[in-house]
Amino acid sequence: MIRLINVSKSFDKGNSHAVRDLSLRVEQGETLVLLGSSGCGKTTTLKMINRLIEPTAGTIEVGGEDITKQDPVELRRQIGYVFQGIGLFPHMTVEQNVELVPRILGWSIKRRKERAHELLQLVGLPPKEFASRFPDELSGGQQQRVGVARALAADPAYLLMDEPFGALDALSRETLQQELLALKEQLKKTIVFVTHDIFEALLLGDRIAILHQGKLEQIGTEREILSAPATPFVRDLFAKPARQLANFQGIV
Amino acid sequence: MDTVSLSTFISERLPELWLRTGEHLMLTGCSSGAAMFIGIPLGILVFRKSWLRNPAMGAIGILQTIPSLAMLAFLLALLHRIGALPAIIALTLYALLPIVRNTLTGLEGVSPQVMEAAKGIGMTHGQRLRMVRIPLAVPVIVAGIRTAAVVGVGIATLSAFIGAGGLGQFINRGLALSSTRLILLGAIPAALLALVIDFMIGAFEWGLRPERKLGNKGPVQAMIRLTARIMPILLILAGMFVYFIGPCAQNRMTSPQAKTGKVIIGTKNFTEQLILGELMAQIIEGQTGLTVERRFNFGGTMICHGALANGEIDLYAEYTGTGLTAILKAPVISDPEKALHYVRKAYHERFNARWLQPFGFNNTYAITVRKDDAVQQQWHTISDLEDTAFQLRVGFTAEFAERPDGYPGLSRVYDLQFLEIKDLDPAIMYQAIANREVDLICAFATDGRIAAYDLTPLDDDRGFFPPYQAAPVVREQCLTAHPEVGDALSLLGGILDNTTMQRLNFEVDGKKKSPADVARRFLKAKLKTGDTHRQRPPAK
Repeated sequence: MIRLINVSKSFDKGNSHAVRDLSLRVEQGETLVLLGSSGCGKTTTLKMINRLIEPTAGTIEVGGEDITKQDPVELRRQIGYVFQGIGLFPHMTVEQNVELVPRILGWSIKRRKERAHELLQLVGLPPKEFASRFPDELSGGQQQRVGVARALAADPAYLLMDEPFGALDALSRETLQQELLALKEQLKKTIVFVTHDIFEALLLGDRIAILHQGKLEQIGTEREILSAPATPFVRDLFAKPARQLANFQGIV
Repeated sequence: MDTVSLSTFISERLPELWLRTGEHLMLTGCSSGAAMFIGIPLGILVFRKSWLRNPAMGAIGILQTIPSLAMLAFLLALLHRIGALPAIIALTLYALLPIVRNTLTGLEGVSPQVMEAAKGIGMTHGQRLRMVRIPLAVPVIVAGIRTAAVVGVGIATLSAFIGAGGLGQFINRGLALSSTRLILLGAIPAALLALVIDFMIGAFEWGLRPERKLGNKGPVQAMIRLTARIMPILLILAGMFVYFIGPCAQNRMTSPQAKTGKVIIGTKNFTEQLILGELMAQIIEGQTGLTVERRFNFGGTMICHGALANGEIDLYAEYTGTGLTAILKAPVISDPEKALHYVRKAYHERFNARWLQPFGFNNTYAITVRKDDAVQQQWHTISDLEDTAFQLRVGFTAEFAERPDGYPGLSRVYDLQFLEIKDLDPAIMYQAIANREVDLICAFATDGRIAAYDLTPLDDDRGFFPPYQAAPVVREQCLTAHPEVGDALSLLGGILDNTTMQRLNFEVDGKKKSPADVARRFLKAKLKTGDTHRQRPPAK
């Protein structure tokens, strides 16, 4: 369980806030999508959860314990993180990238190699073909699968995903979304997923939290939000794609 | 004008070329290695402690701006020794800048995204540095080492000035004797060495790069890659082989045994010094049972003097005026006897060294004109110029034009005003007066070209120029241990007047004979002992 209580973050000593007074709860095994346009504070929120960024005010709990009471390195090792820009290590092979967290956790060579191969299989990259490649020998979609495999390597209870499919073409994105959906059912992780794509949010989120200018507009299931948008912003946000969809269907 | 053919010239010097190349590799290798061991950790430290960055990089940058010779001279004074050690330290200091700077640049250049990912997956500070930042900075760091090594090969040629050997020895000797062949014999192998080292480190860096799975991957490729990776080891082994096992290594390895009966003679790096060095060496070899080691061509007065004061050499020839002004920093004394007396006393007290009897000549500045002009105008002394000076065009070296014991003092003492003064390089000054482009020059009294170009030095009738009498300066310790050295050298007392010295200098400068030959022939004629290298029983 991840809990944010009145969390604020300002990068300029309080003149403006990237995140303002945010409170939310991610239940065990649930996927929460943070949805919002760029600059709404969703990535900042994600980074505060594993202490890449420290909040200016408020409390964050992971597993029921205040994260400021936990060692940041230990904390991060329990949380898988898939980065926006992928963030694979260019000097390591695919296998070395995936087994990195097990390696720094001190697993045996044999065990972490097995784990790496198992995960590569899971994300659809046959280890025989891909294990010894370097990141720059992979396509964007393949790189992102490695990013997911790396995040899952040490079997963390939590997974933070920062627009993992944002840079991909529409087709690879669709495939990966479907795969993640299947993976999610299989792995039962607690996931916080950041996106600006409404359809992605609707597809992957058990619940959706809509952020606007650092503030939480509404949090709820797809049904709750669509049937009862809490603010004009939320209503507009969903009205526009609905209109587009209607137009598209009209053409077809 | 060189008499021997090119192939003979090279084949005769091949063993020495081998030795010098080995020394050169040793100097460059040791200094680059040391600079890596200091520079890379320093670069990392400077990266981590940002407050250290400006002072450390500033200090290393300043080191780089110190002229190489000044650095060598300074280290010589600091360490009290000549040879490889100060040279390696100097080269290491020069190699630091590219290595530290590239280490820092490489570490800073790693993408912040990658570093955030490393932090985000839970790597500690040390792990991020060790497993991500440093490996990603390696290509830039290796490029720094490459720069340092290549620059080092170049600077290492200067180490010959302080007796560290290397290919610079040839260059140095070539410059002293104005022999282009000798200069090239040092310069071309040094340049090739730089290219080879550059290539090898480049290949090593290529070998380190991650091996792509895609693309060419045959056994040949694998072999090339392996070779590239062991390149540095090959390089070091090659250097060690040449240095320790090469044909000339035996000499060096065995020489310390003969230490007891050995006298070490140094010289500065110009023709007259080399001839005097040979004269002293040959007379000691001929008259005593001692072995002479020649450490010639030191890069200047201070280095020669430093070597003597520190016991690295036993003797060299110094000039009274130089000892007085440059070393003792005393005011000019124009009386030759008084000047000699002064340096003798001061050297005895301060440096525990003795000035023996001067060779006889006085290598001072000489105001020199063409002989036909002198005859026609009845010029004998500088005072004779007084009435005609305003019509004369003169050529001075830049140094003479500025030194207080040069033109400024001269014009005051003799009340001379010339028509036109040109700053000329010493090498073209003689040509200029011979071609009637100038009418008067400031020659060195013993320069062989005075006679060769049919010039006449005018008498310094008012005693303005300080005396520069050359004499052997010997460590007292050496004289006590081997009194026969003093006896042998006393045979050289007063045997060279200015004209003779001019002639000997010209034999080398003009006729391209070797200083050793010129000295041998002179001694043979003068003492009939020239070629008797230790064949007679030692005379006490």
